[in-house]
Formats: sequence, C-alpha cells, structure tokens
Amino acid sequence: MTSALRAYMTLEVTGVSSNMAASLLSRRTASSFSFTKLNSLLPAAVIQIANYNPRPLRLNLKDPYIPDKESERTPEWQKTEKFERRLFGRYGRASGVNPVKLWPSAARLEELMAEEREWHPPVEQMLQNIAERQMEKEKRRIEREKTIAESMAKMPKLIADWKKQKREAKQKANEEKQKQVRLLAMARERFGFAVDPRSVKFKEMVAEIEKEEKKQRKLLKRQKKEEEQTSITPTADSSQ
Amino acid sequence: MSLIKKPGGKTIEVVKNLPRITLANLRPNPGAKTLEKRRGRGMHGGNRSGWGHKGERQRCNRPRLGFEGGQTPFYLVIPKYGYNANHSRQPQYPPLSLRRLQYLIDLGRIDPSQPIDLTQLVNGRGVEIQPQKRDYGVQLVDEGADIFCAKVNLEVQAASEKAIAAVERNGGVITTSYYDPRSLQILIKPVPFFMPGEPIPKRLFPGEDLLPYYTDANNRGYLADPDKIQTARMDLAKKYGYSIPDISKDTLFEMLVQRKNPRHIFFGLSPGWVVNMADKKILKPTDDKVLQYYGS
Repeated sequence: MTSALRAYMTLEVTGVSSNMAASLLSRRTASSFSFTKLNSLLPAAVIQIANYNPRPLRLNLKDPYIPDKESERTPEWQKTEKFERRLFGRYGRASGVNPVKLWPSAARLEELMAEEREWHPPVEQMLQNIAERQMEKEKRRIEREKTIAESMAKMPKLIADWKKQKREAKQKANEEKQKQVRLLAMARERFGFAVDPRSVKFKEMVAEIEKEEKKQRKLLKRQKKEEEQTSITPTADSSQ
Repeated sequence: MSLIKKPGGKTIEVVKNLPRITLANLRPNPGAKTLEKRRGRGMHGGNRSGWGHKGERQRCNRPRLGFEGGQTPFYLVIPKYGYNANHSRQPQYPPLSLRRLQYLIDLGRIDPSQPIDLTQLVNGRGVEIQPQKRDYGVQLVDEGADIFCAKVNLEVQAASEKAIAAVERNGGVITTSYYDPRSLQILIKPVPFFMPGEPIPKRLFPGEDLLPYYTDANNRGYLADPDKIQTARMDLAKKYGYSIPDISKDTLFEMLVQRKNPRHIFFGLSPGWVVNMADKKILKPTDDKVLQYYGS
C-alpha cells in the first residue's frame, strides 16, 4: 500500500509522460529515493543506473475511436463488455466507459469462486494430501519388510524340508532300480538266458510273482488272525 | 707373438675380403616376404573358397542388421518409453548465473537498490522467459559465486545451495517463488496485460509435486516458515564458513525485508487492482464481494 501510494504520488508530481510498467512505478520511487537520500552511502557502481527505455505506447488519445452502440454498421464484437473494458484500458476515462464494469459482476464472481473451490485446493489441503500419500507409502514399505522378515525366518525350515523330500525321492528311485535288477536276475535263472524286460514272458513271470506275493500276504494275514483268536480264548478261560 | 696388432681387428679383415655390393648378391632377410595366398586352388578351400554355391552368401547381399525375414523385428515390437515421458509436464528454468547477475548490476541494467524479480530481469534484458515453451521462471546457478559481491533482495524460481550461500554471504536476501503460467506471462510483460483493462488476477499456488520444494526453508521457499528460514540461514553460513551480516542494522533494511504476498504478482500492487496506462492511475475495487474474492 505505502509503496504503491508513494509511486502514485510520484507520478503525479513529476508529470512526465511515462509508459513504464506498474512494477517500475516502484522502481522510479526507489531510484528517486536512492538518489536523494542514499547517494553518498551507495558504491559508485550503483549510482549509475541505466534508464529503462520502454517500447512507446501508440495510444491515439487525441482522436480516440469509440464505437456507436446504436449504429447497425458497428460490428457485434465491439458492443460487448469485454470491448468496453479494452476501451477503458486503452483510452482511460476519455472512453466514457463506467469503471464499475472493469470488475466481474456478482454472478460472475460466484462462478469464479466455485471454479476456484473445485480446481485449486488450499495449501493446507495439498499438504495433507502429500502427508497422506507419504504415510501410505511408508505403511506399504513396512508391510513389505515384515513379509520379508517372516519369509526369511521360515527359510531354513523350508530348505530342510526340500532336502528331505529330495533324499526320499532319490531313495525311492534306488529301490525301484534294485527291484528291477532282482527281477531280471530271477528271470535269467528261470529261463536260462537274458530276457528282454519288454517281452511277454517277462511280463507273465512278473504277474505270477505278484500273485504268489499276494497269496503269501493273505496267508500271513490269516495266520495273524488265527493267532489272535487262539490268544483271545486263553484269556477268556483265565477270566472264567 | 703370432698375432699382428691392427686397429679394428678381425672385422676389418672380414670386410676387406668381401666382394663389392651389387644387385647380384643382395636378397631379402629371412621372413621379410610372405608368399601371396591364392584362393580357389587345390583340395581344401578350393573352387569357391568357402562362399557356398548359390544364394545370398555367394552374392554378398545378405539382409541388413535387425532384419528378421519379414516378420516384425524386435526393435519395432517393443514400444518406446522413457525419454519423452511426461515431456509436456516438465517445467523448464532458463539459467541465470551469478556472474551474469553481477555483470548486469555493474552495467546498471539491474538496480540492486530495490527488490529484483522477473520483471526487473526481463526489462533489463538479463533473461528471456517464454511461458509458451514451458518456462516457469529463472533458476539461479552458482557459476561466478566467488566474484559475486552485490547486496540484493532477489526473487527467483529455483536456486542451488551454493548460489543461495553466495547471495546471503554479501548480506542479501533470496526467495524462491512459484508463478503459474498466466501470472508468469503477466509478470514478464505487464504493459500488454494492462492494456485490455483487466484487474490483476490472484497468483495460484504450486501443485502437489512442487509444493514440498516451495515450503522447504532450505530452498528459501516463499511458503516456508520465516523462523525456519532464519535457522536455515544460520546453518548454511556455518556449513560454508562465512558470517551473515546483520541486515536489521543495514541502511537498506527496508528494501531487504520486502516480500511479496503468496497471492500477489507485483510488488506494491494487489490482486483486483486495475492499472490504467492512459490515465496513469490505479483503480482499486470497493465492492465487498469483489474484495472478498481477490483477498482470499
């Protein structure tokens, strides 16, 4: 406020035809201020300030073009409020435009406020969003680290299980191999020559052997049952 | 003694008995010349010398590198990514080095006795900003940090740590500020904006990707806490080994402490004001609703 007012008054006092930008209004004030009061205190290099030579504004203030709104020959776009604002910006009060129209109307203000509320959140909201995203990321990282820790704790047991399973599989394969060798030897004894494992004779022999084994197993089961029965009766007798 | 003593000894005797050097008794050293290898002769490697009987190999017209027999080659199947990702969203900051800033001040194109922002730099022809090419302001780089000796109140959009230290060592003040593209256009070319007679708009805040930068006191962000900025100034002075002059006792203190409101575009001009170049006047609104909108 103060600097703006000071700049404004300086313009009025000097009365020079200045086309400077608004921010340079402060510049003029600062320059005057520095020259008048601080000239002796500033270093020599600072005193020599190159003057800013702006591009001249070609304003036709003597004969301004102000369109007649009632005339039919005037284009439609020159009858709009936007063009009125442009006229005021170009010719100032000489344009005859009411300065009240420079600012948005109440309805327009409502639209602008709604748009701002929707698209431009305040800084607190944005900071909160950033913090939430950061916390979410941190939480995900912690969960992942927990999962990794649990898996690493389980790893020795899983390795041992895997080795055990591998050992058992190897042992089973060995047993199968030995069984095959035994069968081949048995076939050679029976037939007197080396038999191809894929021949019909070999397969029949294998089937017979399996049958015999089944019979033996059944006999063993019967013997076990009979033994159980004989063992039960003495206990009954003893109880009686 | 049987030996005859002569200078040179046996060597001279040998040389004396040799015949004169002529073309007839010269020949190359062993291994100096190798026989030229003739191709296409004999049992092994003869006839076609390994080039086959027909086809591409025989005729030296094999396909180019990367060709895969007509099927879509690998380098076309895999999509491109990476280099141009988010190209249109990457902000650009033309550099302003401390050397150039000192040069501009020495020539008088920049006035260090008042705050320096983009308007001063553009009007002094120090930097060129093009908002249409995703320029978001200027970044201060530390080239020339050892020769920088001006006391300035500087406002840039990005600055390196060493550049900040160089400015503050001389008793200056630096601020990093964000300008949305529209505010930036107004800031670098104020007069073309004033001609249509529009009120000065509010400056927008940075998005969520840039907000942490401008709220960080180490970057001297314009949204940072002033107390934290003071602490950061002390820490930086300790880190680089200089002492900060006390600017509160400085004759330029009033200039050095000038700071824009985060919603303001210009020093000394508020949003909602209308600057008229023809009348050379500043019009301020008085309506409550308008004041409320531009003041928030």
